[in-house]
Amino acid sequence: MSNLMPPSRRVAVVLALPVTLIAAWWITSADSQSFYFPPLQTILQTFAKLWFSPQALQNVVPSLVRFSIGYLAAALLGIGIGIPVGASRNLRNVLEPVLEFLRAIPPPVLVPVLILFAGIGDEMKTLVIVFGCIWPVLLNAVAGVCALDDVLAEVVRSYRIGRLARLWHFVLPGASPQIFTGLRQSLSIGIILMVVSEMFAASDGIGFALVQYQRTFAIPEMWSGIILLGIIGIVLSQIFRAIEAWLLGWYHGLRQSQRAN
Amino acid sequence: MLEVNRLRKVYDDASRTVEAIRDLSFGVGQGELVCIVGPSGAGKTTLLKCIAGLLAPTSGDVVLEGLPVTSPPPAMAVVFQEYGRSLFPWMTVHDNVLLPLKQKKMTAARRQELVRDALSAVDLNGVDGAYPWQLSGGMQQRVAIARAVAYEPHVLLMDEPFAAVDAQTRADLEDLIRVLWRRLRVTVLFVTHDIDESVYLGQRVLVMSHAPTVIMEDVTIDLPDERTQLETRSMARFGELRKHIYSQIQLAKQGWRPPSK
Repeated sequence: MSNLMPPSRRVAVVLALPVTLIAAWWITSADSQSFYFPPLQTILQTFAKLWFSPQALQNVVPSLVRFSIGYLAAALLGIGIGIPVGASRNLRNVLEPVLEFLRAIPPPVLVPVLILFAGIGDEMKTLVIVFGCIWPVLLNAVAGVCALDDVLAEVVRSYRIGRLARLWHFVLPGASPQIFTGLRQSLSIGIILMVVSEMFAASDGIGFALVQYQRTFAIPEMWSGIILLGIIGIVLSQIFRAIEAWLLGWYHGLRQSQRAN
Repeated sequence: MLEVNRLRKVYDDASRTVEAIRDLSFGVGQGELVCIVGPSGAGKTTLLKCIAGLLAPTSGDVVLEGLPVTSPPPAMAVVFQEYGRSLFPWMTVHDNVLLPLKQKKMTAARRQELVRDALSAVDLNGVDGAYPWQLSGGMQQRVAIARAVAYEPHVLLMDEPFAAVDAQTRADLEDLIRVLWRRLRVTVLFVTHDIDESVYLGQRVLVMSHAPTVIMEDVTIDLPDERTQLETRSMARFGELRKHIYSQIQLAKQGWRPPSK
């Protein structure tokens, strides 16, 4: 249905609520005297001054670098471990209880532990992100491999398709819709952990900056940092959606053709 | 060229033992088109998987061109019943046909030539770039047949390939198989539950009993080689053969089986 709307109308529908909320915030806070809830205008002016300055990069860049490395490492590890585990029933039976336990540990509690042997540097923060992001990818990769089609598996065998080609042309694409489900969950976990890991022991990063502003009662700065995190989240999820649309175009087409029948 | 010797298959799992095939022996000569017909639940698919090297027989063996079949042989191609599940949905029609050829030693140009020839042999031109799920069921099965043809097999195994397409598409596909068989001089083993289809297509029809399966009769189809849906199917001889096989199948359903040798 939404596909049939003219583009101008679609843009209007998407933007209607955000614009309304921002306007409401702007108007209700316009002559606010509260120290903790300054006018949105003040926050936005601070935002422009703070985050479009060169020194802002000193906090934003380290955060995004740690996030990217941690997230990509978790994705590669999750897929790399998940595929052999999904392919082997024995391996699955042995590992499943352990995986479920590890997944149940809230990653932030690992920060103090990781500080002990990984220090308070980038390694610790990246490891926290890896540890939090790996589980959804890994468990979804396992499920994706388990759910591969038997008929296609027989096609692969009967045409004597080799191991590498099997992995690349059958197992990975076949499990990719599930893997992307895991990657999407991990994306938001990764952003949360990026900030949380910087709140404990850090000398840079967006999370570090937020805590600094809060402790020094730099309230408009604090609010502007929260807005920045929201914007980073939106941008990352848009990038993610673009990659997904490109790699899983076949899947959405297949689903649509199945619904049509 | 293809020998099935005293083949027996028993499915043995923790809860129960099922004897699917009791004792099957038959041979298929070079360039023959043999149909296997039997009531549903006759173990036709089991037999085909044993011949294809996808399933290990409990006892007995399958010999192709002098060599026992223990894994899928390179000189064999299989067309499966479930066309919707036997093509890779993430690959275009062209890539689906190409993938098995990448396992064979030949030049890239030769591969492209085989793909092109196979697709035009099944009357699929101009859909190279389409995805399988964009095509009708009959066209999807043509892609699967093209993939088998491009593989240049000596034996083509077909497991009820037209069971899921509509009657008119089915008649077209039957004629296509006759044309391809005569043109490529490939040996074809065609499994079906449709008596008319077996008589129309085959030079010989093997009638199978109910499980545990044995061969009820090996019927020679003495119809002229030039067959057309309209004329062949209205011949008196077609009716006789059809009636004969039908009565054999009825006997099979009642549990009658030939005295064991």
